[in-house]
Amino acid sequence: MSRGWRQDLAWAGFILGAAVLFGLAQQWPLVRASWRGELAPRLAQVRDQRRAEQFQGVKTVNLAQAYALFEQGQARFIDARPADEFNELHVPKSLNIPPDRVSAGVAEKVAGLAKDQEIVVYCGQVSCDLALKVAEKLQALGFTRVTAYLGGFRAWDEAGYPADTGK
Amino acid sequence: MRISSSVLGLRVLEVVLGGLFFYAGLQKVLNPYEFAEAVLAYRLLPESLVGVAAAGLPWLEIAAGLCLGAGLKRRSCLLLLAGLVAGFLIVILITMARGLTIDCGCGLFFERQVGMGAVLEDAVLLIWAAGLYWWELLRSEKCGPGSIAPAGP
Repeated sequence: MSRGWRQDLAWAGFILGAAVLFGLAQQWPLVRASWRGELAPRLAQVRDQRRAEQFQGVKTVNLAQAYALFEQGQARFIDARPADEFNELHVPKSLNIPPDRVSAGVAEKVAGLAKDQEIVVYCGQVSCDLALKVAEKLQALGFTRVTAYLGGFRAWDEAGYPADTGK
Repeated sequence: MRISSSVLGLRVLEVVLGGLFFYAGLQKVLNPYEFAEAVLAYRLLPESLVGVAAAGLPWLEIAAGLCLGAGLKRRSCLLLLAGLVAGFLIVILITMARGLTIDCGCGLFFERQVGMGAVLEDAVLLIWAAGLYWWELLRSEKCGPGSIAPAGP
């Protein structure tokens, strides 16, 4: 049995090597950017391009703009993260519309809001798309002043902006 | 040649498992930068190696899945897939212990966060791949390597 096992391992090593070499060649621009330490800006560029195509028409705000809207007190913040993360810490007075309830939950949770209410949607971090998905859904429901804050709650929290655990 | 139902069952399980990994690898190859972002989020590899992992792992899934489905070097493919899943299971457990709430980059048909769901899914895949490997190894002892004939007389 040990001989069979060794043969299997040898072939597994061959398949592994061949697959990885092929992958490195096929994704060479990605490998090179990573090796040169240019991965983060390249990822941001690709992410922005994809989002511009996928979420056309959804306005976005940066951290400073989101905080300014929070300070003015006119905007309603919507947290698109899962409920357990929301319950841990979130932007004060925000509504939680988690990803698994994006379809059914949006209409129900924002039923009391005026269609011209200023709304800012956020999720966990800069790489998540949940804020854009929920913002798109809100626009489809007829809300006219919806923006997605793309920095995520992590950047908000790291900036030392207000956060609480209340519902 | 008569093929027993247990051998047929074995092949069906292998083809399904191979198909799942082929599909998972294909999704990542079609969206390489999204997968690189998922790998980066684990914060386990230096940035210089994230590209290597993001480029190599999907093709490993595709190659092993395709060969397993096609019946080529089945035991080696099962060994590779079991090793891949076991490694990923360790990564998930480390990530959970560190308290990171990130997308696992592993959801086959929908996005999924690192958590117990991903652990369970991986545990099932690990048992599936390791069990099939063990079954194949025992069969080859009885029937000879590469045989698809029934183990019994």
